[in-house]
Amino acid sequence: MSASVRLLRRQMQGQLRTTEWRALLIATWIAITLTTLLSLLGDRLERGLIRESASVLGADMVLSSQRPIQDLRRQQAADAGLNSTSVIQFPSMISAGDDMMLSSVRIVQSPYPLRGQIQTRPAQETDIPEPGHAWVEARVMSQLGLSIGDKIELGYTELIVNAELISSPDRGSGFRSFSPQILVNEADLDASGILAPGSRAEFRLLLSGSTEQVNSFTLFLNESLGDEERLFTLQSDQPMGGGALASALNYLKLTSLITLLLSALTIFLSLKRFSQSQHLRCALLLSLGMTQRSMVMLYLMQLLLAWAVLALIGSLTGIALEQMVSRWLDELLPQSLPAPALWRYFTGAGVGLALLVLLGLPPTLGLSKVSVSALFRDEDIRTERRGLVLQLICALLLLAVLLSFLEAPIAALILLLFLLIGGAVLGSIAQFCLKHLATPLSKRLLLGRLLVMRLRQQRQWHRLQSAVAILLLTLLSVVWVSRTDLLEDWQAQIPDDTPNYFVVNIQPWQTEGLQSFLDNANVSAEFFPMVRGRITTLNGAPIHAQMTPEQLEHNTLNRELNLSWSNHAPTHNTMVEGQWWQGETTEPLISVEAEMAEILGLKLGDVLGFDLAGLEVEAQIANLRGVEWTSFQPNFYVIFDEATLNQFPATYITSFRLAQEQQELANQLIREFPSLTLIDIDQMLLQLSQWLTRLGDSSALILALSLICGSMLMLLTLQQALDQRRYEGALLQTLGANAKQTQHLDLLELMLLGALCGLMAAIIAEGVIALLYIHLLDIAPQLHLGLWLALPLASFAFFTVSGALLRKRLTLDQCYRLLRAH
Amino acid sequence: MTLLTPDGFILEAQNVAKSFPAQEQRLELFSALSLQVKPGESLAIIGRSGAGKSTLLSLLAGLDQPSAGHIKIAGQDLSSMDDAQRAAFRSQYISFIFQSFHLLPELSALDNVRLPLEIRGDEQAEQQALKWLKEVGLEKRVHHYPSQLSGGEQQRVAIARAFVTSPQLLFADEPTGNLDDETGQQIIEQLFTLNAEHKTTLILITHDPDLASRCQRCVTLNNGHLTERSL
Ligand SMILES: Nc1ncnc2c1ncn2[C@@H]1O[C@H](COP(=O)(O)OP(=O)(O)O)[C@@H](O)[C@H]1O
Ligand SMILES: [Mg+2]
Repeated sequence: MSASVRLLRRQMQGQLRTTEWRALLIATWIAITLTTLLSLLGDRLERGLIRESASVLGADMVLSSQRPIQDLRRQQAADAGLNSTSVIQFPSMISAGDDMMLSSVRIVQSPYPLRGQIQTRPAQETDIPEPGHAWVEARVMSQLGLSIGDKIELGYTELIVNAELISSPDRGSGFRSFSPQILVNEADLDASGILAPGSRAEFRLLLSGSTEQVNSFTLFLNESLGDEERLFTLQSDQPMGGGALASALNYLKLTSLITLLLSALTIFLSLKRFSQSQHLRCALLLSLGMTQRSMVMLYLMQLLLAWAVLALIGSLTGIALEQMVSRWLDELLPQSLPAPALWRYFTGAGVGLALLVLLGLPPTLGLSKVSVSALFRDEDIRTERRGLVLQLICALLLLAVLLSFLEAPIAALILLLFLLIGGAVLGSIAQFCLKHLATPLSKRLLLGRLLVMRLRQQRQWHRLQSAVAILLLTLLSVVWVSRTDLLEDWQAQIPDDTPNYFVVNIQPWQTEGLQSFLDNANVSAEFFPMVRGRITTLNGAPIHAQMTPEQLEHNTLNRELNLSWSNHAPTHNTMVEGQWWQGETTEPLISVEAEMAEILGLKLGDVLGFDLAGLEVEAQIANLRGVEWTSFQPNFYVIFDEATLNQFPATYITSFRLAQEQQELANQLIREFPSLTLIDIDQMLLQLSQWLTRLGDSSALILALSLICGSMLMLLTLQQALDQRRYEGALLQTLGANAKQTQHLDLLELMLLGALCGLMAAIIAEGVIALLYIHLLDIAPQLHLGLWLALPLASFAFFTVSGALLRKRLTLDQCYRLLRAH
Repeated sequence: MTLLTPDGFILEAQNVAKSFPAQEQRLELFSALSLQVKPGESLAIIGRSGAGKSTLLSLLAGLDQPSAGHIKIAGQDLSSMDDAQRAAFRSQYISFIFQSFHLLPELSALDNVRLPLEIRGDEQAEQQALKWLKEVGLEKRVHHYPSQLSGGEQQRVAIARAFVTSPQLLFADEPTGNLDDETGQQIIEQLFTLNAEHKTTLILITHDPDLASRCQRCVTLNNGHLTERSL
């Protein structure tokens, strides 16, 4: 065995026992694990659901509309040489036996899809289900207890489930892409009786062709796009599906920035401490004839060896965690995820290498510069701050590596700045509090004066330590609370009589029957007609010309609105200004939602012009209404007087509450009115809360990893501080203090620090959560007593225990030796 | 093989100056020191603490650069070499013994002695190391680790380590400073025996009058001047 190898081995054996190497190894391991996890998961999610690709879109471009797509469009597409096929997608209750569930139905025609492939189990010969058949996703199968060959009811028809849908492109846009999906042949649509004129559905025209054809048709369409139409192409910046998922993924990645930052800091400090401890040793090796070059190689080898082992272990744990998380998500994801790209398996190892090399190179190169003559003076060698440029370059490179890994550089940079500044501020506040807390104590306690001295002396360390502890504890508690409590608290605030079912797509002739059905069951429900229209003018002039760009962004101006009519004010709205019209009106009047009026600057007496399916209608604002949007009642921005609107074709909407024991009524309703769309709010909320919980679990997992990193960092810095304290303690003991007293001094300091950090974290976490409650959920903030107890206790315990572990009591004899060694 | 300068000196310092940048003014340790040492000679440098003895030693050994003047070892001017050349030169001709031993704690006595040979790629490292441990009387302790050895034993390992590369020049900075008198005596004995046997040139710093008196020559460093003391 060559000398270098032997030295390397021995050296490592010894160093593995030191805190700095352990901290270094664990931090690197965590960084590699985490980057592997996120890289794999992110790639799979993106390939499967987020990234806009032909095989996700199911076509080269998709024209989507709120209204049935005119034949003209198909003709135009055919003239442009494009292939096309049409899809209709809508939410619908489907049932099997006594079970029912809300699913997203896709009515398709062959050929389908135009790009990508549908995967089914068992594999099918045809590209879409034959008439009378349906292909359904696993979640439908499991929730309805179906097996292949069973029947489901969709509206008035019965369909045989002859395949399970494993994956399919063209899942539709928005949240519907996450509902469990069903594929049905268009031949079955009429018989189901579900889609009547005016029904809510997304109508899509899938198009494919050569790149040139697609491009020129895109240009053509963009010029003639109607208000209700949207175009999705491979280049569109707004993804069709997966928007929410993409944000969830970004959220996870940003969470991981904290972990990466902490591990980088831990690695940096470990290496710094390590290289300082190596100065004398390097001087000795140089004096024994080793060249600077081979010494740098020796240390680099050591880092590389550590990296190789950690890359293997870290990648494996990363892969295992990815399996775990994707299994968590599996039940919630619309389809099974594709395998990641091969190179993604190596991202973690790559990031780990970057971390170790970029952080390790400056101190390692510094080691070769130590002077042998230090061995004569026997003192701690302080190398000059050489290589500052190198350090800076390495830090920038590392930043670039991390940011490019996170793939959201701007957000990451902002978060980074926020963390750094926030950390600095919090650290200073904590240190300030500590100082002022100790002063009154100093008069009461025996060791008080020493404590005050100590606090002044260690203020740098306290600042860093408390900043890290407070930030971590705050983040962890916010994530933990928002994981479940947020939605639960919100649900708890909803009044008991809040509707939990919506019925939409009610045709005018069905209202009477439905009303009496509900009356018989003693369920009260108000019916509202809906007509679609667009605001075009204000006081006779085009409205777009009169609004600022921000106002034009408002919901009511950038799309078609659902308009309603009524000759009395909805019971669940409040009058803000003006009065409701009495009975028949002589001229068209409207009631406008108050917030919209305020944002758009509308006043009583203003006249709004509407485009209702091609007809122009003008109406005067008679009153302003306050609307509680989260009340689960049908709510409208604009309500007309009856006479003006009732000549237009309308569908009706209603909502009502079914108590737990009345749930059977929902089944009956579907059975009696199969073509209605019944939406179960509880189920939707359940789906949402499952998502939030899983997302919360995943980010808690990441934060737990950062907690380990944070602990390592704390132990490392604590050790450094404690070394100094041991010396100080030894000195005090030789001056007459006893071992117990010096130990108490340390514990007192750590306990104070721990409790303070916990308390501050609780305050900030509670504040952040309160902001979430007020701004996100619009409910009154609540106190989380658990936090106020758990955080100070946990942080107190952590500091105290690690302090006690690291600093064992010294005997007087040990003290003398310690002092002599210094 | 013994190296000689044309005028018969193995080590020659001419008008060597050394100063350090201190807080207000430069700390000038000495401004024009000259010294000549013949091969095989033993030279003691004495002087009060802080006089600059260790600094002088690192200059003589080529570990540090003088502010002015020249240092020649075997006729070669150290100041004309770059860092790497000086390091290579050192590893070929020079060994050190330190006040606090500086053994690698995780290596056994044998491995500590063997290390410099292995660094140089010597095939016979193990036999050589064993031979030298035997010479310093530690043949029964070869597999012990520094923590299991007494101070005197540790210094003897360090002596074996210094001689194992057959250096022309041996620099020792207060080799007995961390030892009690009796052990120090034994170490001195050993050092001089080996020195005489192997014709090594020995330059040592000491506070110990006994040790100084065992050297052929003795110089005192005081206020930046070297004065030869006749023995
Ligand atoms: N690198 C340095 N920078 C500044 N001052 C130094 C340096 N090395 C040594 N000195 C100073 O030079 C003086 C002599 O040191 P040293 O040579 O160790 O003395 P001695 O070995 O005789 O006790 C001391 O005052 C010391 O502080
Ligand atoms: Mg000295």
